[in-house]
This record gives sequence, structure tokens and C-alpha cells, in this order.
Amino acid sequence: MSELSIELPSRSVPSARAKAWRRLLRDKPAVLAALFLLLIVSAALLAPWIAPDDPYASNLRLRLCAIGNARCPHALLGTDQQGRDMVSRLLFGLRATLALGFIAVAVGGGIGATLGLLAAFYRRLDAPIMRFIDVLLSFPPILFGLAIAAVIGTGLNGLVVALCITAIPSIARIARGAGQQVMQQEYMEAGRAAGTGDLKLLWRYLAANTWPVIMIYMTLQLGQAILLGAALSFLGLGAQPPTAELGSMAADGRKFLTIAPHVATLPCTLIFLLVLAFNVLGDALRDALDPQLRQ
Amino acid sequence: MARHIAHRLLISLPVLLGVLLIGFLLLQVVPTDPATVSAGPTASKADVEAIRHQMGLDKPLWMQFGLYLGRVLQLDLGRSMISNRAVSEEIALTLGPTIELMIASLIWAAPLGILLGSLAARKHGTWIDRAIMAFSVMGVSVPIFWIGLLLIQHVGGAGWLPFQGRDGPIWTLAGLESIILPAITLGSVFIGPVARMTRTSMLETLAADYVRTARAKGITEWRVTIHHGLRNALIPVVTLIGLQIGFLLGGSVVTETMFAWPGVGRMAVGAITSSDFPLAQGAILILAIGFLSVNLLVDVLYAWLDPRIGVSRS
Repeated sequence: MSELSIELPSRSVPSARAKAWRRLLRDKPAVLAALFLLLIVSAALLAPWIAPDDPYASNLRLRLCAIGNARCPHALLGTDQQGRDMVSRLLFGLRATLALGFIAVAVGGGIGATLGLLAAFYRRLDAPIMRFIDVLLSFPPILFGLAIAAVIGTGLNGLVVALCITAIPSIARIARGAGQQVMQQEYMEAGRAAGTGDLKLLWRYLAANTWPVIMIYMTLQLGQAILLGAALSFLGLGAQPPTAELGSMAADGRKFLTIAPHVATLPCTLIFLLVLAFNVLGDALRDALDPQLRQ
Repeated sequence: MARHIAHRLLISLPVLLGVLLIGFLLLQVVPTDPATVSAGPTASKADVEAIRHQMGLDKPLWMQFGLYLGRVLQLDLGRSMISNRAVSEEIALTLGPTIELMIASLIWAAPLGILLGSLAARKHGTWIDRAIMAFSVMGVSVPIFWIGLLLIQHVGGAGWLPFQGRDGPIWTLAGLESIILPAITLGSVFIGPVARMTRTSMLETLAADYVRTARAKGITEWRVTIHHGLRNALIPVVTLIGLQIGFLLGGSVVTETMFAWPGVGRMAVGAITSSDFPLAQGAILILAIGFLSVNLLVDVLYAWLDPRIGVSRS
């Protein structure tokens, strides 16, 4: 029924943005994913205050306590190989994993978006920038991780750099495409005719009209960044013990798979749900904004 | 077509140079002085200097990089600091298992993905389509190490299949058994993307005019799907599968490490975590070169599969 009312001519034609919102809110999995992410991100932000225990306080008498075991009534989700509370470690691990993903996508995506918009704005820069992006794209993400870990050593610094670099090329391509579309709009020409400076045109006209698309692809990229970061940490090339990070926690639990599977399974499940939520939300946002892409 | 390949080569060149530079840098951070090592403990200072000169270590860095390029071209990648074997020898040993694992993963995952994608496109809009798409999103969201851990816990832990190492070449029973779990792990993350790409590509072709013509001629629906739809939809899918090799490479590094599979990825991780710089250099070099060559191969294959590219470019 609501679809009909949109088709009817009315005085107040809903704006494109309002339509996109409506489409998004009708997408139940997307709404669910958004709510889940809201919950998870707030839990991660509030970790120091809501964690029931210190994530680094070990208690060897409570080693590998299973979920619901009477040995550790206070640890809701059991304990790990050093008797540390799993709930607290998961909350702090989530915080580290999310932070890694956000930093990577914000910095790498920011660089990528700038490059892409510059390529769309200045025709001269298009070819050199895109060649550079092609070069980045012809390097598989895991190799960045391996190479950087090999040069500057294993640890969080190298991991962040690797994740940032891998976020650059895809965002740059999207930003360039979106920017080129905006460049063809009449208001761009009008702005130029009015004598607006390049910087203002870039920021107030180009960036202001492309950021929704760029943000959506950043959401999709976030899932990939988290997945790659977790994989590198799992391999021992990222976060080092005792740092609570979901990927390295999963690697820790690997040794106790048969006697205490929860130590590895819990962080893995959390990574999966997190990435799934980002992917579902990103897909839905893309469909809502550009229904023609939906097939 | 020739231009297409030339363009690819042109992009690959700076990448290759970048990789070689990383490899060279890795050898620079080796904490021991190679001249002192090769001179031996009893050598005098003058002897060490002579060897240093002979090895070119007293030349400026850019000249040393040139010498390094020359050595790489002769497949001399130095010696592992831990096993003291030639790096090229170590690579030769690990390359086979890695290729074996990749093929074993692709051989079941790619057809399954294509099948699921075609099914989703044919049943477009139904619950089957939605279920396959949901499965595909889950497939791209799951951390590969979780699949491996689950298989190790439930299948390997129960003693049904081996999950540590490679017990022999693939044509022996023991070798075949030991590749099953790694191949399932690595292949499973590949189904989702392939299904998704096939579906999109298939929906495009099924909407094309020639498909409508075929339908109008009264050909059965499955014949239309397979002969007219899938055949044309597969062209982009082949390229996309090729471009996903990088993705597969990432997965294989994790899979090999988990299952102690003696491949290049595991060797790279091992070399990096144990600071065996020459070996790490060799492993990264070979992974990058392998990736670049596969990409090049896919491009050629694409041009060959789709005659329109060859015609329009010549």
C-alpha cells in the first residue's frame, strides 16, 4: 500500500534521501544489523566500565573453566587458558578489533576518497592517480600484511599500516566514479562560472555531494578490514599476547580446542557476527541509495 | 588484445619493483654482517674487508640493489638463517603443496558457486534466491580460521581425517586424505563470492535480447539457462575468479598455517615470526610474482574467451 502512495502525484514529493531512508527502514535484516552494531559498538566503547572483571587478571586456579561450570559462577562465558574472564576479554577484544577496523577505514578510506575526488576534479591527475591505484590493487591484501610485518616487525603498528593501505584503492575507485558523476551536474558548472575557488568547489560541491556513497562503501570495507586484521592477528602478525584482540584470542584458543572449545569459538563467533552485520548493512545502504543496482 | 596485455605488464612492472625493493630492504635489516659470517670466526679484519669488497657490500645502496636484482634473476635468493638451506630450494619444496591446495579448493568450490549462482538467478526473487544470497553474504563474512577450527574440532578431533601436515603426494591415499580438510576450509570462503558474481552476471545475460529470442523459439527453460545464459555469463565469472586469486592467496596463508600444510604461505608466516629475513624475502617475492602471473594469465584467458575484446582492440 505504501508503495502506491509514493506513485501518486502529491504536492510534497518525497526527496531522494527520504525515499532512500524509507527503503532502508523496510529492509528488516538491515535494521536488525544496524541495531546489533549499535549494541556492539556501545558495548565496546563502554568496555572499561561494564566489563565484570579485569581482562588481564589471570587466575590459574580457574583455568579453562567452561560456560556455566560451577567452578567459576562469576564468569558468565567461562575463562580462558589463564583463568581470565571471557566476557571481559571479549569486550576488550571487541574494542581493539573495532578500533583497528575504524582507524584503517577512516585513514585509508580518507586517503582513498581524497585521491579519487582529486582524480575526478583534475583531469590531468586522473591517469597518474588511477595508475597508482591499479598498482595498489594488483597487490593482494594479505601480502601487504606479511611484507609490512616482515619489515617493521610483528605488532599492532604494522597491522594498522597494512590495513590502512589495503583500504585505499577500492574507496578511491568509488570516490572517483561518484565524483565524475557530480562533475557533470549543472551546479558544478554554475559554481565555476560564479568564480568559486577550486578548494571550495572540491569541498562544498564535490565532497558534499559524494560523501553518502563514499560512506556506504566504507561500511562495506569495514567488514573486510576487520576480517583481514583478525586473520593477521590470528597468524601472530598483528596484536601480540596478552593484548585482548578477537583474532589473537581465537589463535590462543586453538591449542585448547578439544578440551575447552569456547575459548576459540566465542571470539570467532563475534568476528563473524560483526562482519556479517557490516556487510548486510552496507549492502542494504547501497541498495537503498541506488535501487537500480538492486537485482 | 596485445595492448590489453601490454597495459597489464606495464602495471605489473612497478609492483614487481616495489616487491623487489621490499625484499632488498628485508635483507638490509639482517642483524648479522654477511661478510663476517662468510669469512668465518678466524678471519682477520683485512680478510673481512676483502670479502666485503668482493660481495659488493662497500658499494652505495642503490648499486647493491642492482646487484640484488641480478642475483634474483639468477634465482639466488640467499640462504635461510635457520635451516641454512638456499632460499630458492626451500621455495621449490613449498610451491607444489601450495598449488596443490589451491587447485583442490577451486575444483569443488568454483563449480558449486557457479551452480548456486545460476540457481539463484533462475529462481530470481523467490525464497531460493534469497536463501542462496543470505548464504553468500555469510560466506564472505566468516573468518576462514573459524571454519578451519570447526573442522579440526569436529572432524579432525573425532579422528575421521588427518588435520596436521601433508602425508604424501595427492595421488596416494594418505595424501588425498590429508588435503581434504584444508581444501574444504579454503574452498568454503570462495563459494559465496563466486555464487554472487555468477548470479549478477547471469541476471544480466538472461535479460538480453538473444535470450528472449531463444525463449520465443520455444527452447526449454533449462536449455536457455545453460546454453544461452550460463555460457555468456561465465565470461566475466572466469575473470572475477581469477581476480579473486588474491583473496584465495590470503586464505591459503591462514589455512596452511592452521593445518601445518607445508606451503609457501606457512613458510612466509614462519619466517616472519622467527625473523628469518632471507626466507621471508623469498616467500613474499614468490607469492607476489605468483599473484601477478595468475592475473596476467587471466587477462589473456579473458581476451581469448571473449572474442569481442580481440576484435575491438585490433
